Amino acid sequence: MNTTIDRVSPEVAVLALDGELDASNYRELIATGSRLYADGARRLVLDLAGLSYMSSSGIVALHSLALVFRGLQPPDPEAGWAAIHAVSADTAEGTLADQVRLVAPTPAIDTVLERTGLKRILAIYADRAAAIAG
Amino acid sequence: MTPATLRIDADVERLKDVRRFVRENAPGLGADEAAVRDLVQAVDEWVTNVIVHGYRGVGGPIEVELLRSGDEIVARVRDAAPAFDPATAPRFDPNLPLERRPVGKMGIHLIRELCDRFEHRVPAGGGNENAIVRSTTAPSRTGGQA
Repeated sequence: MNTTIDRVSPEVAVLALDGELDASNYRELIATGSRLYADGARRLVLDLAGLSYMSSSGIVALHSLALVFRGLQPPDPEAGWAAIHAVSADTAEGTLADQVRLVAPTPAIDTVLERTGLKRILAIYADRAAAIAG
Repeated sequence: MTPATLRIDADVERLKDVRRFVRENAPGLGADEAAVRDLVQAVDEWVTNVIVHGYRGVGGPIEVELLRSGDEIVARVRDAAPAFDPATAPRFDPNLPLERRPVGKMGIHLIRELCDRFEHRVPAGGGNENAIVRSTTAPSRTGGQA
């Protein structure tokens, strides 16, 4: 998978994903997004138009970045989830993580997002401009 | 409609080869495009589980066999990891809010959604054999047009 960063403003970064996102590369995506947050980005637009496949490891990456852009620690996927409870006790539950926005997933990836409940967490936009502006 | 077999060492870098194997061989066994797509995802999810959880990242052999049985495609995944029946895994709840969701645990959930049956047995020599079974022509469960 290739990633292309477009820093459209100090607050907003667009990360375009191209290829296949699976267990071999999802940690790189978490690391790349986390660096953008550390560098001051507060909105991450993930352009999925060029992504042809995403496994549940990719869902883990999107979930982790949603937490990072809320200012929380990205959980270790192997560490169980007691740690997530610990850092999130005072945050609002059940709301969209508006800081991370998804653009133009293929129908197959859209269904994976739906079946894993991620669409209840992250908003999906038809195109990049809408996700940047909205 | 000859069965096809792929043998790999348990390494996440080989997952792309597993997906290519299913994409290239399932059509010849009669799977339509929707069935191929669902099988690619289900097999990838299970082999990932075997690599990461079964072998705990230390490696080991994995064999994927694709065959036709009646009007179904069967993907048999064999490994030499400690016996584990995915039917005993906790159910994943996609309705939990962000902060209360476990990170991960979704692979087995997706396999159950994408395929008709997911069956585990311990072969005589030990290890695991999991069969992922899907109709050759049922409508796609990964959505969209084939």
